[in-house]
Amino acid sequence: MTNEAVLDEDTMPLADYLARGGKLTSPNNVPPRYRAELLRLMSSFVDSELAGSAGFADAINWAPGLKERIAASRITLEKVDHAEQVLDLMSDFGTDKALYNKAHSWSARQPRDAKVDAKRQGGDMRLSVFHYPLQGWTDAVVMNFLMGLATVHQLKDLNQTSYQPLGEVFRKILPREQRHMELGLEGLQVLAVDETARQEAQSSVAYWLPKVSETFGPAKSERFDRLKQIGLRQTDNETLRAAWQADANERLNELKLTK
Amino acid sequence: MARFHALQVTDIRRDTRDAVVVTLKPDAADRATFDFIQGQYLTFRRDFDGEELRRSYSICAGKDEGCLKVGIKRVEGGAFSTWANEELRVGDRLDVMPPMGRFFTELEPEKVKSYLGFAGGSGITPVLSIIKTVLAREPKSTFTLIYANRQTSSIMFREELEDLKNSYLGRFSVIHILETETQDIDLFTGRIDAEKMELLLRLWVDAEEVDTAFICGPEPMMLTIADSLRKHGLADEQIRFELFASSQPGRAKARTLSQVAATGAGTCEVSVTLDGSTRNFQMEKNGSSVLEAAIANSMDAPYSCKAGVCSTCRAKVIEGEVEMEVNHALEDYEVRAGYVLSCQCIPVSDKVVISYDE
Repeated sequence: MTNEAVLDEDTMPLADYLARGGKLTSPNNVPPRYRAELLRLMSSFVDSELAGSAGFADAINWAPGLKERIAASRITLEKVDHAEQVLDLMSDFGTDKALYNKAHSWSARQPRDAKVDAKRQGGDMRLSVFHYPLQGWTDAVVMNFLMGLATVHQLKDLNQTSYQPLGEVFRKILPREQRHMELGLEGLQVLAVDETARQEAQSSVAYWLPKVSETFGPAKSERFDRLKQIGLRQTDNETLRAAWQADANERLNELKLTK
Repeated sequence: MARFHALQVTDIRRDTRDAVVVTLKPDAADRATFDFIQGQYLTFRRDFDGEELRRSYSICAGKDEGCLKVGIKRVEGGAFSTWANEELRVGDRLDVMPPMGRFFTELEPEKVKSYLGFAGGSGITPVLSIIKTVLAREPKSTFTLIYANRQTSSIMFREELEDLKNSYLGRFSVIHILETETQDIDLFTGRIDAEKMELLLRLWVDAEEVDTAFICGPEPMMLTIADSLRKHGLADEQIRFELFASSQPGRAKARTLSQVAATGAGTCEVSVTLDGSTRNFQMEKNGSSVLEAAIANSMDAPYSCKAGVCSTCRAKVIEGEVEMEVNHALEDYEVRAGYVLSCQCIPVSDKVVISYDE
């Protein structure tokens, strides 16, 4: 196979190929705008995983028991590993991996009561939810469950992305992100049986729920339309958000964690 | 970042009227760098009349052949492939980047796996590498190849595939689909379309048995085949594609970027093209970047790290002079072709025209 231009009746314009669900496999010849959107998508994932991991590192020392300590360590470790797998794909496009890691302070957070615009404001590309600080074990468990569940829904959509190497990485990552969410759920189940802890968890849920909801993006999004056209995304923001919301509500209601 | 290494051409064999197989040898020091995985490709560069062209070709050797081989089919008007077919000589040295690509699955010698491969024309090259490697290193696995060509004379590696069939009796089979040549079985004549796929999967290949399918060929053929395989129950992770888009980026004339620092005085007329629409605005020459100015003018320009590291904000300077403060992501040839990291791009001239679409 080669990338030397062949234009005959056997080939078709790339836009048509992508619109029909075709996959691209090599950084060599992705068109410029595709390249830009793909890199933006990948950076947002990498930055969110790095920032998520950096923030969650504190939870290791908040953990009430050894089992929880191991779970928190594992989540902290694996999120960096997931970031690296996508960063490796970015390196194929020229991204300098070592410098990338040093480009931002991944553990930096805004004040708890800050109002962070869901649209990104300079700095790194992390989702806005990762600009808010965690404030203790219960809070970390709640955030990890809610955002973990959102990640699972988002990754299920991204599995189908038109850049095949990225889809493959996401398929590999998904079961582990699913496990992180389940570890959060297990933590919640423990908290829910103690009335004081349950109430604390309930206020954390109220704090995090709208912030995680924002990570799905605006209901009407030109960017989504653009990404959909080139096959990088499939399911629209609102549909994904609604699926996550229903999923989260069901589990929270079971544990009496909604107000 | 990957770098080019000089490899020596040790053999050139004509395979069909318009295709050659080129064997390459890295210097002893580079041998480990060029240890490839079956299905990967090599990227070559060469100057044609002062313009650098880069072309990728899949490796067609198996892992146990102890050498690097690529198949180069001449395409109409293709400078590199024509040169390789007509002028390249044994003993020449070629600039080559280390192997890249992810068109493979892990080898598992103890497993019994069933592979299905589809190749169209020169799309055979990576598939051949996979076939040879899998047959040699997974002794219990089988491979069925469905190979589409115009006619018998244009089939690349025809003899080698026959030899493989004989060496691995019962483990390797080939079905040739010829577009313009009548064969004993009607099904094997014509193009691979949905109907033909349906019949192939009903009569010749049991899709349920397939562990992994590899597809490499022109875009419409890949779409048709992938659709049929999905309908027959194959999951996305079982279907592997290899595609190099045929549309080539424009061949820009080399451009000199000014090394003079921005003076910090005056304004610059900036014109930015994004997604087909162009916006004009003025920006102060005060050291702020074209990207920042575009965002300030409510353009949804792509960017990520803003530190010259990730290359998300890559754009092309069509007119004017700019200075790039930091560049950790673009290679020299991209800079020569006029590409810049717009997050690091400070206007020097009074007018700058930039496009994210090229």
